[in-house]
Amino acid sequence: MRIFEPHIHMFSRITDDYEALAKEGVVAVLEPAFWLGQARTSVGTFVDYFDTLIGWERFRAQQFGIHHFCTMGLNPREANDDRINQDVIDLLPRYLEKDSVVGVGEIGLDDQTKTEEKFFAAQIELAAAHDLPILIHTPHRDKMKGFQRCIDIVREQGFPWERVLLDHGNEETIKITRDLGCWSGFSIYPNTKMSPERMVQILLEHGIDHMIVNSAADWGVSDPLMVPKTVARMREAGFDGAQIDQLVWGNPTSFFAQGGRLDPAAIGELLPVDRRETFTGNSILRGQDPNAK
Amino acid sequence: MLALRDLFDAAATPEASAWLDGALRTAAEDPQRIPVLFPQIPRRAGRQYLAGGLREAGAVRVETGAWRTCDVAGLAILTASGIPAEELLADLHDRGDLEERTMVLRALAALPTRPVTGRLLGEVQRTNQVVHVAAGALDSNILARTLDEGGDAVGFGIDEFNRLMLKLAFVDLPLARAIDAMRHANAELSRMLQGLATEREAAGRKVWHDTNRAIACAPTEGTVARLLGGLEHGDDHHRLAAAEGLARLDRDDLRQFLRERLARENLPRIRDVLERAVKTAAR
Repeated sequence: MRIFEPHIHMFSRITDDYEALAKEGVVAVLEPAFWLGQARTSVGTFVDYFDTLIGWERFRAQQFGIHHFCTMGLNPREANDDRINQDVIDLLPRYLEKDSVVGVGEIGLDDQTKTEEKFFAAQIELAAAHDLPILIHTPHRDKMKGFQRCIDIVREQGFPWERVLLDHGNEETIKITRDLGCWSGFSIYPNTKMSPERMVQILLEHGIDHMIVNSAADWGVSDPLMVPKTVARMREAGFDGAQIDQLVWGNPTSFFAQGGRLDPAAIGELLPVDRRETFTGNSILRGQDPNAK
Repeated sequence: MLALRDLFDAAATPEASAWLDGALRTAAEDPQRIPVLFPQIPRRAGRQYLAGGLREAGAVRVETGAWRTCDVAGLAILTASGIPAEELLADLHDRGDLEERTMVLRALAALPTRPVTGRLLGEVQRTNQVVHVAAGALDSNILARTLDEGGDAVGFGIDEFNRLMLKLAFVDLPLARAIDAMRHANAELSRMLQGLATEREAAGRKVWHDTNRAIACAPTEGTVARLLGGLEHGDDHHRLAAAEGLARLDRDDLRQFLRERLARENLPRIRDVLERAVKTAAR
C-alpha cells in the first residue's frame, strides 16, 4: 500500500513520526503552510518558515525516504493581522514558484471576517496566476455558514472547481461539496472532527471519487497515522485494494499534480536514504553511524 | 561577459531554449520579476550538463562541464540588463532553495568581484553545504581571481581563502577543480591542511587525497616529512600526490627517496612522476 498524506504539519512533528509514516506505507507528504500556535509579528518569521518548508523539512522527510511537498499561503487566522498580512501576500509570488510548492494553502476563512475574505480572494488570484490548485481551510466554528462563504468567494473569483480542495469537511459539508465538482477533504482526528469510523460511513454513502482524507497532524493532540488507520477500517468495511489506492494515492496525487510540479509516477516508492547527507551542514543524526542501515 | 548560450542550446531542449528567450525579455523589461523567474529556472531550462572544456572571458575562467543548463539560464537572466545589483544576488541567494543558491553561486564565477562575492563565499564557508561549496568555489578561477582583484576589499582576503581551501579538504572536494587557486598557496594554508590531516589520521578517518599535492605548493614545517611518509603510503592516491609534491619541491637532497621508491613502485602513473623527478636531478 502506498499513501500520499495530503495534509500534515511535519514541522511540528518528531522523527519518530517520519519513521512510523514510512513503516505504514506513507511515501509522500504534503505540508500546508499554516499558523504556528501563536501570532507571528513580522514578515521575517514567515520568510524563515517558508524557507524551512522548502529546505530543512524537505530534507528531514527525505532522510526517512519520504517525498515532501508543500503549499504556501497566508493562513486565515493570521490574515486578520495587519502587522503581516499584506507583506506575506507580497512575498508569496516568488515562493509559489519554488519547485516543491504544489499549491496555494492553507487559505480560506476562520473567524469569517472581511479581512480574511479580502486575503482569501487575493490568494485565489495568486493561485490562478501561478497555475496552482488551492487548499482551503474551512472554519471550525459556524462551519456551515463559513463553508458556504468559502464557496461563494471561489465562485466570485471564477476559479475552476477541479482545482479546489475544500478541507476539514464532515457529514454535513459533503452534501454541498459533492455537487460542486471540487475535491472534498476530511481531517481524521483521534478525538474530534472526523473519526475513521465516521469517515468510512461517508465513503460508503458517497463513494471514493474526489474524496481526500488526511490526518492534519500538527503540534496539537493529533495522530499522523490516521490515514493508515482509516484504511484499516475501510478494509473491515469491505473496500477493495483498488478503491483504497484511489483514496489514499490516486486522488491526492491527481489533485496536487494539476500544477505540473508533482509527477505521481516519480514518487510511488520511498526514496533511497543516505544518512551521510547533510542540509547546510546539518544532519538529523545525533552520533549514530551514518552508514548503518 | 562569459558567453555560454551556444553550449546551453546544444544541451537544452528546444522548449527550454524558447522559455529562456522569453524569460530574458521579461528580465530585461522588468528586473523586478527576476525573483519570481528564478525558482522556475531548473524545471523550465533543465538540469542537463554542458559539454566540458575551459572557457575564458577576460580574467574569468570556467570549466563548462560543471555547469548545467539551469546554471547558464540563471546567469543569463541575472545579466539580461547588465551586471546585476549586489542586493539582487544576495536576496536570490538568501531566499533561494538549494537549486537557486547553486545557480547564484555558479553565476558569481562569471561576474565582477564585489563585496557580494565575499559575502556569498562566506555563506558557502559557513553553511557547509557541499553542493554549494562546489558551486561557489570550484570549476572556475573565482577564488584566485577574487584575491587578484582586491581580496580584502571585497571581504575575501587570504585568511578567508585559506579557510575555504581547508573546507574543500574537510568536505573532500578535488583541488584540481579550484582553477588557479594554488597560485595563492601559502605556508599558513599548508600548516592548516597538515593539521587537519594529522587530526584525521589520529581518528582513523579519511584524509583529503590532495593534501600532499597542496602542501607542496607552499612548504612549511613538517611538509617534507609528510611528503616522504606519503611516498610509502598504501593508498595509491596519497602516494601519487606525495610523488607529485616531492617532484614539485625539486630538491636534490630528497631525490634519493624518489629513486628508492621508484625501484619498488608498480603503479605506472606514479612511476611516470617519479621518473620525471629523478631525471630532473640527472640534468
